[in-house]
Amino acid sequence: MKNKYSEPNSEGFFGSYGGKFVPETLMEALDELEKCYEDIKSDSEFQKKIDRDLADFVGRPSPLYFAERLTEHFKGPNIWLKREDLNHTGAHKINNTIGQILLAKMMGKTRIIAETGAGQHGVATATVAARLGLECHIYMGAEDVQRQSLNVYRIKLLGAHVHPVESGTATLKDALNEAIRDWVTNVDNTYYIIGSVTGPHPYPMIVRDFNAIVGRELIHQSQASFQSLPDAIIACVGGGSNAIGIFHPFIDEDVRLIGVEAAGQGIDTGKHAAPLNDGEPGILHGAKSYLMQDSDGQIMATSSISAGLDYPGVGPEHSFLKDSGRAEYIAVDDESVMKAFHQLSELEGIIPALETAHAFAPLDLICSEFNEDQNIVINVSGRGDKDIASVAKLEGIDLE
Amino acid sequence: MNRIEKQLVENKNNNIKSLVAYLVAGDPNMDDTLSLMHGFVDAGVDVIEVGVPFSDPIAEGPIIQSAHDRSLANKTSFEGIIDLISNFRKKNTNTPIVLMGYLNSFLKNQKAFSRFDDIGIDGVLIVDAPGEYSLKDLGISNANVVSISLVSPTTTKERTKKICNASSGFIYYVTLKGVTGSSNVDLEEIKSNVIDLQKNTDLPVMAGFGIKNKEQAESISKVADGVVIGSYLVESIFEAKKTTDYKKIYNYLSEIKSVINK
Repeated sequence: MKNKYSEPNSEGFFGSYGGKFVPETLMEALDELEKCYEDIKSDSEFQKKIDRDLADFVGRPSPLYFAERLTEHFKGPNIWLKREDLNHTGAHKINNTIGQILLAKMMGKTRIIAETGAGQHGVATATVAARLGLECHIYMGAEDVQRQSLNVYRIKLLGAHVHPVESGTATLKDALNEAIRDWVTNVDNTYYIIGSVTGPHPYPMIVRDFNAIVGRELIHQSQASFQSLPDAIIACVGGGSNAIGIFHPFIDEDVRLIGVEAAGQGIDTGKHAAPLNDGEPGILHGAKSYLMQDSDGQIMATSSISAGLDYPGVGPEHSFLKDSGRAEYIAVDDESVMKAFHQLSELEGIIPALETAHAFAPLDLICSEFNEDQNIVINVSGRGDKDIASVAKLEGIDLE
Repeated sequence: MNRIEKQLVENKNNNIKSLVAYLVAGDPNMDDTLSLMHGFVDAGVDVIEVGVPFSDPIAEGPIIQSAHDRSLANKTSFEGIIDLISNFRKKNTNTPIVLMGYLNSFLKNQKAFSRFDDIGIDGVLIVDAPGEYSLKDLGISNANVVSISLVSPTTTKERTKKICNASSGFIYYVTLKGVTGSSNVDLEEIKSNVIDLQKNTDLPVMAGFGIKNKEQAESISKVADGVVIGSYLVESIFEAKKTTDYKKIYNYLSEIKSVINK
């Protein structure tokens, strides 16, 4: 019998990736978090609480929907959509924040911080912080504050403070830097809710576990809908939290796992955000993983139409799954993403987030590899409301 | 014996408190960095920490962050820093030099790492490398280069022991919970933590992060074996740039050196 998949190891490594590469002041906080998480993981009261919140506040389980017209269009396998876009706050991000805020509360922390790119994680964090009455600070790259103004306003409506970050490239990576600096300074009373499967151990594991509800639901739903497991699962990958959430329960199963990165203006141009396709291992934000870096080890600026994927690193577990060959990672450029965005809107009546549209862009290619009896599932990680203004602008349409 | 070990043991035996000074290589430019390094030594600095600029310096406050950005905008490279140290060694073969930076820069320049001792680099302080790992664990070993680690106010007793065991040269005590250059130092807490730390190690203990003025330096040096000045110098170098007159900085360093040895 095969060994059951059990990454990461006790030191937080997925193979050779991951670990805890942070300033010394944070080491104790990470150890404390790890211990607390291990304690509550098996606590049935805590699990019940999370399950109740996921059902009544988030609206889980999210449906598995048969995309009939999309299936007809590609004339290949049956295409099913896992509807994370229907969650409260509009994306998968809330699965993680619901869990982490309860952890924060149990650890006696009174102040919540988070970074955000597209703003979805910022909204999901501000939402749960409001619900528990905790002070909340969101760090966001100044450039992202511009292109995701709707989410910035949502975060403010929820009573949280938004701190635009001007340093470096003024995008997601710089927001992360600033959040880490805040945490180093206020480590006694502050809980840092990381939004993706990135950062130092135990975050990649915790964020994965809280998002794995998506994959666990899919096991039952696919049995009920087509009496087998899916033949393939497709998800977009920035840091990679929605992808790992839906992949993880299937790692030991015979299911193709396909992650789609942002090729931005094209892999050849170097202006992209696809470290698994065109990067190399290095250390950023506390973990070893594939990175976009130059020959001197400096982190490179990235380019993507979607703020949520505009990040030079990726979760360490994806690096491990890439090297082991268990998951496949491809990349699609901005132009094909825009096509997929319109296609899903027009064929299925679902306007996806630009991040999510990446998972639909390679369907032509992927569908040609499956026959009509097979079933593939795409994770619809988020809805597109937040992107309407920027898409209109890109297409030269004046909404005023 | 490595220059750091030699210098600090000598100071300890002679009851001299050490002054460690930090600057960022290439800010405002490499020529000035070189002349500042010589000026530091003339002013009484015992160990020079040369900052290796990194695009994402998560442990730095705004002052040192901006210096990293300025230096990278000047196209400072690792190879350029190696040249800087080689040039410094043409005139100075005694003063210990530590490179302070982030792990990704050192991993990317592993080849140069094996030549560090030949070039005249005596130690490294890698801010985001866990202190209980040796350089060998990190895959960048060089038997003649010391590995300096940070111990912070949040470090547990158990970790302190592990870190002290994996370190050489000296232990850098982080005087506050925060990024470099913050202003909330609590002198009494620092002193009692330094005394605790010294029970775990025979290595000299240098204290830094947020130390600016003579009073702070004098007070901390009553217990620590020396002090590290960083952000204050980086800011002064930036301000002096307009005049390129670094005399005030050298005077300041001489004063610090004398008050810690009062």
